[in-house]
Amino acid sequence: MKKKSVGFVVILMLVAALSACSGNNNNQGTNGQAGSSAGSSDKVVNLTFWGGVPAEAGPQEIVDTWNKQNPNIQVTYVRYVNDDSGNLKLDTALVSGQNVDIFANYTKPLLSKRVSSGAALDLSQFSDYNIDDKMGAGAKEWLVNDKYYALPTKKNMHFVWLNKDALDEAGLPVPTDWTLADVEKYAKALQTDSRWGYATFPFWRDVVSFDGSLAVQGSVKEDGTSNFDAPIVGEALQQQYDMMHTSKVSPPISLIETTKMNLIAEFLGNKVAMLNAGEWVFRDANNLTDYPRDFKAAFAPLPRMTEAQDDFRYLGGLGDAIAINAKSEYTKEAWEFLKWYADGGMLPQAKGGRIPASKDADQSKAIELLLGDLKDKYDLESLERVLSNELPTFQVSLPQEVLDIRTEEFDKYYIKAQSLEETLQNVVRRHNEYLKRN
Amino acid sequence: MKLNWMRRQQLVGYMFIAPNMIGVTAFIILPALFSIFLAFTNWEFPQLKADFVGMGNFSRLVQDEVFYHSLKNTLIFLGSVPISVGLGFLAALVLNKSVYFKKTLRTMFFLPYITTGVAIAFVWMLIFQPVNGPVNTLLMSLGISNPPGWLSSTSSAIFVFDIIWIWFLLGYNIIIYLAALQEISSEQLEASKMDGARLFHTVRYVIWPLVSPTTLFLLMTGFIVSIKQMGIFQAVTNGGPGDSTTVLSLYIYKTAFRYYDMGYASAISVALLVIIILITAIQWIAQKKWVHYS
Repeated sequence: MKKKSVGFVVILMLVAALSACSGNNNNQGTNGQAGSSAGSSDKVVNLTFWGGVPAEAGPQEIVDTWNKQNPNIQVTYVRYVNDDSGNLKLDTALVSGQNVDIFANYTKPLLSKRVSSGAALDLSQFSDYNIDDKMGAGAKEWLVNDKYYALPTKKNMHFVWLNKDALDEAGLPVPTDWTLADVEKYAKALQTDSRWGYATFPFWRDVVSFDGSLAVQGSVKEDGTSNFDAPIVGEALQQQYDMMHTSKVSPPISLIETTKMNLIAEFLGNKVAMLNAGEWVFRDANNLTDYPRDFKAAFAPLPRMTEAQDDFRYLGGLGDAIAINAKSEYTKEAWEFLKWYADGGMLPQAKGGRIPASKDADQSKAIELLLGDLKDKYDLESLERVLSNELPTFQVSLPQEVLDIRTEEFDKYYIKAQSLEETLQNVVRRHNEYLKRN
Repeated sequence: MKLNWMRRQQLVGYMFIAPNMIGVTAFIILPALFSIFLAFTNWEFPQLKADFVGMGNFSRLVQDEVFYHSLKNTLIFLGSVPISVGLGFLAALVLNKSVYFKKTLRTMFFLPYITTGVAIAFVWMLIFQPVNGPVNTLLMSLGISNPPGWLSSTSSAIFVFDIIWIWFLLGYNIIIYLAALQEISSEQLEASKMDGARLFHTVRYVIWPLVSPTTLFLLMTGFIVSIKQMGIFQAVTNGGPGDSTTVLSLYIYKTAFRYYDMGYASAISVALLVIIILITAIQWIAQKKWVHYS
């Protein structure tokens, strides 16, 4: 059947109507000379920056600093919550031409969608900033159609948080390279009546264990069918299942979900000895008022599945990919802000765990901000180790729908509603159906 | 141009309804028609172009196992409506008699209906919590060693929503039935008493037929409200565990606003619309058999 293309008159009419409404907000006087002569002009350019971090956790301080230094380019921060409805809000704003000049992207599939709708500016037109050189090899994971449409600005760091006091009590050293079997051994030693040995966030559980290997092997086989039945997947599921139901060192998924268990609070409250997480825990770990803590935290890299796993990759790379709205009138000014932001402007967010990725940003200052006056609450040696590691990394790039299919089927296995074989069959079947359509 | 009196009257009438009609047209009728149109395209938000795919979305729909699964869950969930209507009738009968704390009880039954759905949802999550929740603590103290997992089990989770929903709709059903019971003239009840009817017979052969238009109304509106219900599923389980509480409305929401697959989501919406029309039509036809208008 021959497909007929339609112009979507109605949508365009709606969009036109909406953008006509919002057009009134723009400074009409600057329309004529937008971009070209802003540097020399006295006109004040107003930029709007949409991001997912709460304004009080750094962004407000960032834009205040910038605004003080650049009276001609004033940036306003708008927070959108990084969930389904928040992203929808951003995408609607982009499509309908509301004031969005700069926006942060947190997953690559969402960035790709925004690129395909023409919302993100191709950054290769700016030659004064070498993204690969500044950000390192991890930046490549954010390429869309071999081009940068967004500037990844932060180091994504996943690692295991350890209760150092509990480790010392059990006479265990802080691990530097370990497998899931070691984790289980540690967990057994650290488990008490009031404390779980080890916990993982349901969302990250499967991603951190085998997606690294699949990133190397490919989540799709050469013949175009699903590779979710690769041996490593079954192995990982089995091991996680055993920790929940056989050795019982991990809280089972049903308990986490039905009690909406806050794993960060559990770890900081000494109810979980080891937490597979990342840098985002710092925001709460530094907040001793809401999360009082009397133990020292230490850090270990993510465990590999087995000793022999040679294609293991650490979930990491770069995050907070910031893009410029292609329809913005002030792309040059936005780019100026973006460069400044990436090269150190973003530092105030370090206290929540956002460490700049740029080699020109002051790393020791970032660590300083991250730890604040709580240095004695962290094991600095192991922290240094996980922050400075040069391990091979990968990034989550599977579409949301595939991630959801996986979670649905894997959860059924973890709550004993279906066997491992059925689980893998179902995941492969549903993934294949997805692949067929897309 | 001079309008005659009749025309002027009509024009005034239209002007009175215009504010409402413009709102309804712009925000309900046009979007609804537009979504039917979208069901025949492959539009993916946030792109501004799409292709006509004819019946493509619908042929995908009939092969989609998640659709059938969600449809099954929706139908199980709809089972709560007749149960709640039945219970509402019985409770209204009791409340209509002279009982103690009549007003307090009426208020208590109606409270859920005016409470925020998400707040309700979290209370019920605590009640059905498998390890420490009051329901399972009670069951275990009664000697049941292996009580159901409720929301943590794929086989029982959807029924928890039935229980929540029966309780939620109950207050509204009671209030409407109470109004209907007040309408019944005491002469009819006295006549049946004189004829020697016992309580059960009075209820079964006099009161029940007399309130049957109310029953039909409650069933119809109940089904429509329930089939569209999405919020509590999203708040309590988000369709889980696994996909055991994914109902059609939640599936539509996820397809549209999580996967941005607007064309397919519209196709499922059209299917849902057809289902609502079918259920309503069946009730409308069947009413001739049991609804009595006095």
